[in-house]
Amino acid sequence: MSNKKILIVEDDADVRMGLHVRLKANNYEIFFAVDGFSSLTEARKHEPDLILLDLGLPAGDGFVVMDRIKAVPALAMIPIIVLSGRAGAANRERALKAGAKAFLEKPVDNAELLAVIRQALGETVKRERPLVHDLGTL
Amino acid sequence: MRTRALKVLLVEDNAGDARLLREMFTTERPGSIELTHLMRMSEALAHLAKGGVDIVLLDMGLPDGHGLDTVRRARAVAPDIPLIVLTGLDDEALAAEAMKEGAQDYLIKGQIENRALPRALRHAIERHRMQAETDHIRMSQLQFKDEFLSHVSHELRSPLTAIYQFVTILQDGLAGEVNLEQHQHLEIVLRNVKQLRAMINDLLEVTSLQAGKLLIRLQRTSASDAIAYAVDTLQGSARDKGITLDFEIEGRLPDVWADPTRIRQILIILVDNAIKFTPSHGTIKVKGRRLEAGSGVVVIEVADSGCGISAEKTELIFERLFQVSDPAMAARKGLGLGLYICKELVSRQGGKIWATSVPGEGSTFSITVPVFSLPNLLAPAFRKDNYGEIQITLVLTELGSRSGWLSDKVRAEYSYWMRDALQGCLNSKLDVLLPKMGSSEASELFFVAAVTDEIGGEAITKRIREKLHRSDEILQADLTFSTCYWTLAPVQRNADESMESFVEKVAAKIQESIDERNSSRMVKI
Repeated sequence: MSNKKILIVEDDADVRMGLHVRLKANNYEIFFAVDGFSSLTEARKHEPDLILLDLGLPAGDGFVVMDRIKAVPALAMIPIIVLSGRAGAANRERALKAGAKAFLEKPVDNAELLAVIRQALGETVKRERPLVHDLGTL
Repeated sequence: MRTRALKVLLVEDNAGDARLLREMFTTERPGSIELTHLMRMSEALAHLAKGGVDIVLLDMGLPDGHGLDTVRRARAVAPDIPLIVLTGLDDEALAAEAMKEGAQDYLIKGQIENRALPRALRHAIERHRMQAETDHIRMSQLQFKDEFLSHVSHELRSPLTAIYQFVTILQDGLAGEVNLEQHQHLEIVLRNVKQLRAMINDLLEVTSLQAGKLLIRLQRTSASDAIAYAVDTLQGSARDKGITLDFEIEGRLPDVWADPTRIRQILIILVDNAIKFTPSHGTIKVKGRRLEAGSGVVVIEVADSGCGISAEKTELIFERLFQVSDPAMAARKGLGLGLYICKELVSRQGGKIWATSVPGEGSTFSITVPVFSLPNLLAPAFRKDNYGEIQITLVLTELGSRSGWLSDKVRAEYSYWMRDALQGCLNSKLDVLLPKMGSSEASELFFVAAVTDEIGGEAITKRIREKLHRSDEILQADLTFSTCYWTLAPVQRNADESMESFVEKVAAKIQESIDERNSSRMVKI
């Protein structure tokens, strides 16, 4: 199915790796950035179809990254999904206002993550074998 | 070392008493006390507002101020300045009350020893300083605690995410086959990840509750939808445990005035708890009803056939960190914060929560939520912090259009109802509007549009706003309306009329109404 490119911006190496394995298993091509600074370079280099963005990052947090990306015409249209440990309505609103397509709280369950990614990429959601574990809604 | 003069403000209208007090200071080293004597509360307040006073000696019977009121007024102007009240012999009880209002001490006139007065002043100042210091330390400790908890909760999320990711990666066989036993072990890890996540969420929730940072967005929302959502969400967990979970709505439940996310959250906590304490083959029923016909309150009950709670514990369970001591029931661990969070969320939305129970037969948790009403909706527009920001408030009311649209009689009733509703707002604590309305400087416009339709009002409001935004006349003018409000004559929607055309009509009416009132002024929306 897919083969779309996703840029994962995440400073935690283990979380990065976990996302990598999960998304690769769903046929996405994965690139990484580990801080605010490199995220822009990597985005320019790979021109991903989607960016999965953490908020708490060294060298320019997620909000700064969003601002920078939105300021580059070639990148401005790339959908951004925020995946953060910073919970709360205030962060959610701020992220959505800054142009994020969705705001997910860590730890996000796999089903939700994949559904949101597919939706942001405009892919139709197909039911496959259940590769997912519902964490509940609360 | 030379200390600077102590600046004392004496507020006393009796010249004799004032002279006596003044004399008591003469034993002090010259220059150590700087006494200002004023006879009126109004003068004292003006003086205090200027600052530079170290301590106030305040008579509680002044021509323009009496009793505790004097203390309150002085404290309002100068909360950080220590204050000693002067009372007569018969007023010791009053003096004690004054200390509750924040006075450091009281002195009974005619019973003050010469040398005691300056000492009393210095002690009062010292007490005040220590109190302030204690308060400050307490505040910073509380703040530290909140920040600490919030920080820790956030930092816990990343490792938890990594654990969740890799457990599910193993379970799904993305890293090779797992056998049945391994699969079961991973299932246990996953279950604990969920518990940990729930605890972190609770911790964050309580932290923001206590720091007053919790966002509650009151709006018109459907209680029935919230009930259905909660039941739907937890249907799976109930089924896993062999519990029958369903809901029942009595009659047509009116919309409530609440935060839809929070109502769902409360119900999910309650139903989740019920599942926890109900054995398999038990039942859980969520019921929604109006407290009494015509009452302004909706009651939602979560009734289970579980183990029940003993009578003395039905109140304790809402306390923070309360946990069931029965080890058989504590199979699913938690922090003991769920019901506490519920209680806080319910009360912050103007409701109540309580539990009734018969041990061995089951428990019923009930919450109340205010029914949506016009004053609810109008209130934010009248709130002081919004005041001045809102140039125009479009208020939408819905009247059932089933009876066909309004006859003259209904229309008359309707206008009374509207007036009452507005008065309901004005008479409550939000009495900022009335004085403003009388002022010629006020520049806000309150606008009440009445629309009748069964289909959500929000969509219509939005359309009206958009429409008004497009109006050049409105955008180009450069004045604001003076404060006023009026009721727009109800706009009729014909049976076969589309929503589109109805919105157009309402918007046109509003435009007409605005033009009528002032063609050269502007409305900002």
